[in-house]
Amino acid sequence: MTPRQRFLAALDRQPLTGRVPHFELVFFLTMEVFGKVHPAHRSYRQWLQMTDRERELHRRDMAWIYVETARRFEHSAILMHPNPGEAEETRRLIDHIRDLSGDEFCILRHGDATYGIPNGQRMAEFTYRLVDEPEKVHAEAARRVDEALGHAEEYRQHGELDGFALCSDYCFNTGPFLSPAMFSEFITPYLARLTRGYRDLGFHVIKHTDGNIMPILDQLLQTNPHALHSLDPQGGVDIAEVKRLVGDTVALCGNVACNALDTGSDDDVIESTRYALRHGMPGGGYIFCTSNCIYTGMRLSRYELMLDVWRREGNYA
Amino acid sequence: MSQLESLTEAIKKGDRNSAKKATQELISAGAKAQEILDALVGGMDDVGRRFQCNQIFVPEMLIASRAMKESMALLEPLLVEAGIKPKFTAVVGTVQGDLHDIGKNLVAMMWKGANFGVIDLGTNVAPEKFVTAAREHNASVIGLSALLTTTMPAMKQTVQKVREAGLKDVRVVIGGAPITQQFADEIGADGFAPDAASAVELVRKLVAC
Repeated sequence: MTPRQRFLAALDRQPLTGRVPHFELVFFLTMEVFGKVHPAHRSYRQWLQMTDRERELHRRDMAWIYVETARRFEHSAILMHPNPGEAEETRRLIDHIRDLSGDEFCILRHGDATYGIPNGQRMAEFTYRLVDEPEKVHAEAARRVDEALGHAEEYRQHGELDGFALCSDYCFNTGPFLSPAMFSEFITPYLARLTRGYRDLGFHVIKHTDGNIMPILDQLLQTNPHALHSLDPQGGVDIAEVKRLVGDTVALCGNVACNALDTGSDDDVIESTRYALRHGMPGGGYIFCTSNCIYTGMRLSRYELMLDVWRREGNYA
Repeated sequence: MSQLESLTEAIKKGDRNSAKKATQELISAGAKAQEILDALVGGMDDVGRRFQCNQIFVPEMLIASRAMKESMALLEPLLVEAGIKPKFTAVVGTVQGDLHDIGKNLVAMMWKGANFGVIDLGTNVAPEKFVTAAREHNASVIGLSALLTTTMPAMKQTVQKVREAGLKDVRVVIGGAPITQQFADEIGADGFAPDAASAVELVRKLVAC
């Protein structure tokens, strides 16, 4: 099986032999590893001023970074961060990645259309709208889903995209931003329709959110994603408990503690990695990764330590 | 239920219209500014307690805060006239290198709701800026926020700068997703709050008001 096939099999909770699939939502340390600025950190304000050839060289360079990152660190999937972010650029980037790597990797792109936690500037304004004009919020939520599914149909027609990562964050460490009741009104119906729409178009869906998801775990499950991502130990999420509760209905991704990678000891990294593997792997349906991403400022050596443990202990019989 | 109790209830429910109506009626009836203020703060204290117990969530807190803020706007002239000021001032900001503001904003909101004077320095705030603002506003508290593990060292640097500056009466409290009491102890902060509501209790305890 190719890495892509293994990744999709894990999302479908099919049994696997060999090493448990791995990917990261983002691997930002491309300057350290390849001497190249990560695509998401590039400023392309003069994109339209470039010649076609220059734009094509940039696209090729970004595709190369994604492919080589996946190869270097044995990822089974690539989550693109198209820059510029238009749909047409996404399609071109997909083509370049496929051109460089064929069907080696599962290709994903961002596809969430639901309301995440607003930033500090917008949080109060958004909250007031929930209370003062709920009907407009519902209308906007529906429109956002419609637009996302419209783009998805274009990607389906283009081909080669395997799925979507839905990355709107819903939770703090202490629990969800919205109460479970408000979540069921303003998020769950739209997340369910979005996921159903993506599935109907043949895509796989990974739902990511940081934080403590336990108060809304049942609602997330109702929306029927292929996988839940992050399982954030900083938010107190225990992969053993989640596996026990819902491991027979949804694949799980993550749970290796980013804070351990960043500020913990080597032993902390090893312990967190082992815990995630030990409790995520049984019965299949687990994709090994951190609880967030390999972000700017993280030490590469810590990520490599995590991978060393995975190579030794992350293998199905 | 007395009018003051009605005001407290309106704040607890986040009912801005009832809160403003009750405040205005209390003012017209000649109630003391301090009594009205206490009723407002009492409502927000209850909101904070229920938030800590996961009985309510951030939106309910924000809605209550809006009702409080609008009522305070009506009360402000009376507070000035009576010479009532916040008992102390807190400077708050997200530390250098970190652009996240959700946690910091929630803490600032709850501190205002508790009638602390709040100077919000925003995000990506250099250690020196915290020191300068604390001096300028005669602050009793500095609140440091960080979301990223990579910016936690900036908290340590800020605590060091505050100590070096000789601001002995200023208490430094910290919070944020990756922050723990252990980390607060390690860097010599005076306190750690796991959430915005706890930050109110923590500061009240530290400055004993």
